[in-house]
Amino acid sequence: MKCAPSLEARDVDENLINIDPIQVGGRLTSDAMKAVIAWGDGYSVCDNCRKPNRLDMIKNPPIEQFHHDLATFLNMDEARVVPGARRGFQAVSGTYVKKGDPVLLTSLSHYTEFLAIEVNGGIPLEIPKNQGNIITADAAAEKIDLVLREYKRPPSLLFIDHFDYQFGNEHEILGIAKAAQQNDIPVIYNGAYTVGIKEVDGKQLGVDFVIGSGHKSMAAPAPSGVLAATRERASEVFRTTGAKADVTGRTFGIKEVEMLGCTLMGVTLIGMMASFPHVKARVRHWDRELANAKIIIDALLSIEGTKILSEMPRKHTLTRVDTTSSFDKVAKTHKKRGFYLTSALRERGIGGTIPGATRVWKYNSYGMTEKQARYTADAFVEIARENGLA
Amino acid sequence: MSKIAVDSVFHAMFLLTDLRVMLRETAPSHELDDQQRETAGKILGSIRDEVAMIEKELLR
Repeated sequence: MKCAPSLEARDVDENLINIDPIQVGGRLTSDAMKAVIAWGDGYSVCDNCRKPNRLDMIKNPPIEQFHHDLATFLNMDEARVVPGARRGFQAVSGTYVKKGDPVLLTSLSHYTEFLAIEVNGGIPLEIPKNQGNIITADAAAEKIDLVLREYKRPPSLLFIDHFDYQFGNEHEILGIAKAAQQNDIPVIYNGAYTVGIKEVDGKQLGVDFVIGSGHKSMAAPAPSGVLAATRERASEVFRTTGAKADVTGRTFGIKEVEMLGCTLMGVTLIGMMASFPHVKARVRHWDRELANAKIIIDALLSIEGTKILSEMPRKHTLTRVDTTSSFDKVAKTHKKRGFYLTSALRERGIGGTIPGATRVWKYNSYGMTEKQARYTADAFVEIARENGLA
Repeated sequence: MSKIAVDSVFHAMFLLTDLRVMLRETAPSHELDDQQRETAGKILGSIRDEVAMIEKELLR
């Protein structure tokens, strides 16, 4: 089925249980799909844009109110929508990082954090993970001390992912933020895997910025995200332009420099807004998601040789698995090699794994019904049994 | 201008979207329980009404 001559309609989530580690929290709600239908045209949200002509001040549709609601939702003072979490990283980095500045992130940081530092000439320095793949407050404090000794100044910024993308492990965010505060280091909380699926309280965490991903965890179209700040930091990162054109003498009102003016001018923002009431409700049911995750974890662990590489018990639905001593043993002699597992899952209506991966791989059970979780769990066990695994 | 036809086109698409979400929630088997069947039946009835309205407005 095609939606354009050269474009197939995408029906992955209609036909399969999707366990793709990065996709599941960004699937649209029914309301977001409807909003996409109605607001898909380019600058659709600009019908009623009036002076001072800034996206976050549009009253109809209620974009201004949405910005206030986003800040409240994260218990921060101000929020802006951004084209993905990475653009939030870039905006904050652009504000605080100068050429040659040391900047802290972690051994489990997302690559976009490195790029956000690099684009401003900063020097990325990793806080090492421990043997359990956790970033501890002690490790952060030690790294800060090391930077102070070597650079004779504190890092200009610290990035910390609450839950990382590799293991879905929870890191010691409170202690890390405290260590940073003691040295006046602004802290970016990377909530790409929390904001929108799990409750996040920026003030309680003691961070300067909370960044979330619309398309990863807020049931919104890509690229979308949120950058929220404390009042003090908002005045810095959301500073307005002072530019004046030399020939024409033009000035540019109160456009925000790091935002490059307006950000999400159409369907991405409307999708976020339409999903937002559902997102606010669903974060209160994280326990249900973890219960579904456990059903699948238990099934995987019942297959001899399978290891969960993520921290246990699981605190997140994104999980890294090592099946080198189970599913990969089968792959060595199977006619489809490593592709048999993907193929067997697909035959059972489960998709989203990396084709051919039978050693170390990730999946995410977020958003499943309990029935779908049980079905997925049974499918793994069934595939194992069919291929002679105990 | 037929505001009624425009409204009915949107409403029909929104109703179909509700069915789309039901397909997602019941993937991969799409076996509906009693409550889902009842809901699907109501949605399909409403879609027929909207399509009839579009026909009436545009093909008169």
